[in-house]
Amino acid sequence: MSKDPIHLNVDNISLSFGGTQALMNVSFEVERGEILAIIGPNGAGKTSTLNCISGFYRPDRGSISYEGQDITKTPTHKIARLGIARTFQNIALYTGLSTLDNLMAARHVQMRSGMLACMLYWGFAHREDIEHRRVVEEIIDFLEIEHIRKAVVGALPHGLRKRVELGRALALEPNLLLLDEPMTGMNLEEKEDMARFILDIHELKNTTIVLIEHDMGLVMDIADRIVVLDFGSKIAEGAPEEIRNNPAVIQAYLGQEY
Amino acid sequence: MEKPDTLPKHFMEKVAHYGESKVAIRQKDLGIWQEYTWQDSCEQVRNLTLGLVALGLERGDKISIVGDNDRQYIWADLAIMAAGGVTVGIFTDANPSEMEYVIVHSESRFAFAKDQEQCDKHLEIKENIPNIQKVIYWEPRGMWNYDDPWLISYDEVSRLGVQLHEQQPHLFDELVAKGAGDDLANLCYTSGTTGLPKGAMLTHDIFLSAVETFHLLEPRQDTDNVLSFTPLAWIAEHTLAVTPHVMYGVIVNFPEAPETIQQNIREIAPDFLFYPSRLWENLTAIIQVRINDSAWINRFLYKLFLPIGYKVADLRYEKKPASPWLTFLYWLGEFFVFRPLRGQLGLTKIRTAITAGASLSPDMLRFFRALGINLKQVYSSTETAAAGTQHRDDDVKFASVGTPLPNIEFKISTDGEILVGGKNIFTGYYKNEEATALSLSVDEKGTRWFHTGDAGYIDDDGHLIYLDRVKDMITLSSGDKYSPQYLEGRLKFSPYIQHAMAIGAEDKEYVTTLINIDFDNVGRWAEKKGITYTTFLDLSQKQEVYRLIQEDVERVNSSLPPGARIRKFVLMHKEFDADEAEMTRTRKLRRGLLAERYQEIIDAMYDGREECKVSAVVRYRDGRTSSIETMVHIASLESEENPA
Repeated sequence: MSKDPIHLNVDNISLSFGGTQALMNVSFEVERGEILAIIGPNGAGKTSTLNCISGFYRPDRGSISYEGQDITKTPTHKIARLGIARTFQNIALYTGLSTLDNLMAARHVQMRSGMLACMLYWGFAHREDIEHRRVVEEIIDFLEIEHIRKAVVGALPHGLRKRVELGRALALEPNLLLLDEPMTGMNLEEKEDMARFILDIHELKNTTIVLIEHDMGLVMDIADRIVVLDFGSKIAEGAPEEIRNNPAVIQAYLGQEY
Repeated sequence: MEKPDTLPKHFMEKVAHYGESKVAIRQKDLGIWQEYTWQDSCEQVRNLTLGLVALGLERGDKISIVGDNDRQYIWADLAIMAAGGVTVGIFTDANPSEMEYVIVHSESRFAFAKDQEQCDKHLEIKENIPNIQKVIYWEPRGMWNYDDPWLISYDEVSRLGVQLHEQQPHLFDELVAKGAGDDLANLCYTSGTTGLPKGAMLTHDIFLSAVETFHLLEPRQDTDNVLSFTPLAWIAEHTLAVTPHVMYGVIVNFPEAPETIQQNIREIAPDFLFYPSRLWENLTAIIQVRINDSAWINRFLYKLFLPIGYKVADLRYEKKPASPWLTFLYWLGEFFVFRPLRGQLGLTKIRTAITAGASLSPDMLRFFRALGINLKQVYSSTETAAAGTQHRDDDVKFASVGTPLPNIEFKISTDGEILVGGKNIFTGYYKNEEATALSLSVDEKGTRWFHTGDAGYIDDDGHLIYLDRVKDMITLSSGDKYSPQYLEGRLKFSPYIQHAMAIGAEDKEYVTTLINIDFDNVGRWAEKKGITYTTFLDLSQKQEVYRLIQEDVERVNSSLPPGARIRKFVLMHKEFDADEAEMTRTRKLRRGLLAERYQEIIDAMYDGREECKVSAVVRYRDGRTSSIETMVHIASLESEENPA
């Protein structure tokens, strides 16, 4: 693995949908092992940025490189294999499956056994399954979702589904974790729990984390650096303290009069 | 071989007996029930004990411990005792200042704290608890970036123990051998609803005798399983799990997480189960909801067989045999409904289910007994090491808390206070002679007696009836005492009574009661009986309704000494109403206001009238007022001593 401090490099990307310019010449770097928050008003292009990184969208111009490798045109499933995992703003789980099955599904990326071996469930396939189950159980333990291990995800409350989704992203054992509004629709206690989990993931595995979040208090607390987008352009970048006092950011958030 | 006199000696005896061959402890981890044999347990306890000694623990030192029910907790508990220390349990939800009080008061030298949350609390009060030399945590999660040398991990302490064991291989056995039965084992701080918590001093002898008395009644076996989930800082978990574990080899299972307790109970199917009454109440609600959500065939069978279950439970309660036909039907019900239902709840193997705390309503006891769950009430406290009275299999009285366990004596003081005597009684409150003097006495035979502060009496069959706290008892002009709360609570167990207010004070000779009927239930009952009625007022004054309620009142009276019985009652012509300030919004009676408003009725109950004219002002929502005038009937209950 390269020792380059730059983990991910977003270089001058632009994206438009028809006449709507979603992103305009956005550039930033993500350093290895940091928590970077992307903030901005609604429609600023935060999710579009994340979608470009994870391969859901292809930027019209510009490039994205990960570990020094250009991933601008890499399809999503290959990006997942490179060690980039993400969660979605509107939770995208298999609602008919249990928590456990959702997490196990994420492990399939790494399963080596062939279809026949899996059907026979013997020898290597068996051992491999147990090994993956152990990884998944450790995540369940880590996220404190033992009590819903066998529960169908569709029947779970929102806060827990968010946690399951984070679990599924972790099951990919990512080096770079992209979190799209991991705390929306949560109450204060759930938010604090989620913040704790994010910090613990970061501390324990030194995972690089890029997250989008609206709750400013939380962002200021947990992020090392912040990138601010407004109308598809980057208007500021820096440590939380700088961002808090940046006039352009205050204007974007609170309007001209302030 | 001599009978072991301490918990660690019992533990080592079991280790020698079972070794690798038998599981001692289980805990679900990563989705699998991980098993630990007695030998595994022994190594853990030995290493930890010696680790503590290496850190400087000396005999008689106190060690506080706070955390969820985990295998490490029980190992720590045993290690503390093996090293000659005293365990001081703290509840996991204690806030830092409460923690500080217990740690400072107990002069603890070391503290076990499960995880980051508990360690943070200790760090917050670090300045105020200089007596703590090290805080030992056993859950490393989140602790990676803590560099305070004050904190040390469980594994690190164990490593120190391993080193010491290599240097002095006999030290552990010597330490265990030094223990004596009258050594202090545990300082159990009582939750203390009034004033500061008090630390009840409990020796090894006390625990051993408390568990032995349960064992004499219902033998514990080494194949038994218990699930340890009530807080270990609480006395009950020591008497129901930890001590039976070391004395009789009972297997202790620990839940995966606090949220998974229900699932884990089902997986383990424990032989003994101890729930506070509140949890049993929750369980009935859960059963109701699940049945309602169930398939029609399940609902049908449940409705079909539950009445049969009730019938058989009632017959058993009355100690009468069931007819062969009923027995057959019950067997069917067992097959189709009761056993599967118990299976769902994890109660298939249950031999004894215990409820403690506030008394459970007879309806609930009947319900569980109808389902074939042998639910029994226990009366005990921290100071009696959780042993006191218990219902017997064939001798359950809904009004009582059971009869004394073997080797435990009960008596009632002249003030009506319950006194408990036996080997299981605590030896005093730590550093609190004043409280000790009030609560503990030793008679000429050397038996310790605990003065419970509870009022009660022993009935003709030797059952203990708990009434109330002594200080909440009210004395009548006749000198008799009664408990308004007990009376009202028992009356409200009836589905036909919504509210009741007991009357009687120093200026009254006997007890009377104002009763609100439950309009829905009594109305339904009346319809079934073909009794016609129009309004609440009309229904409440029906002779038949009076007779119905009288049965309930008599039932409550039958569990009371004559002087404390309800002599007269009135069925109120209107419901107590929060809108009229007769109750608080949380449905607590405003006694003063009610007594004033219904003065006329109350007077009538004491001057021999049979009826009383009432006029009550009714305030409508739009502000208008009107008054209703009516006669209410006063019911008298004849008693042998006092023919009305």
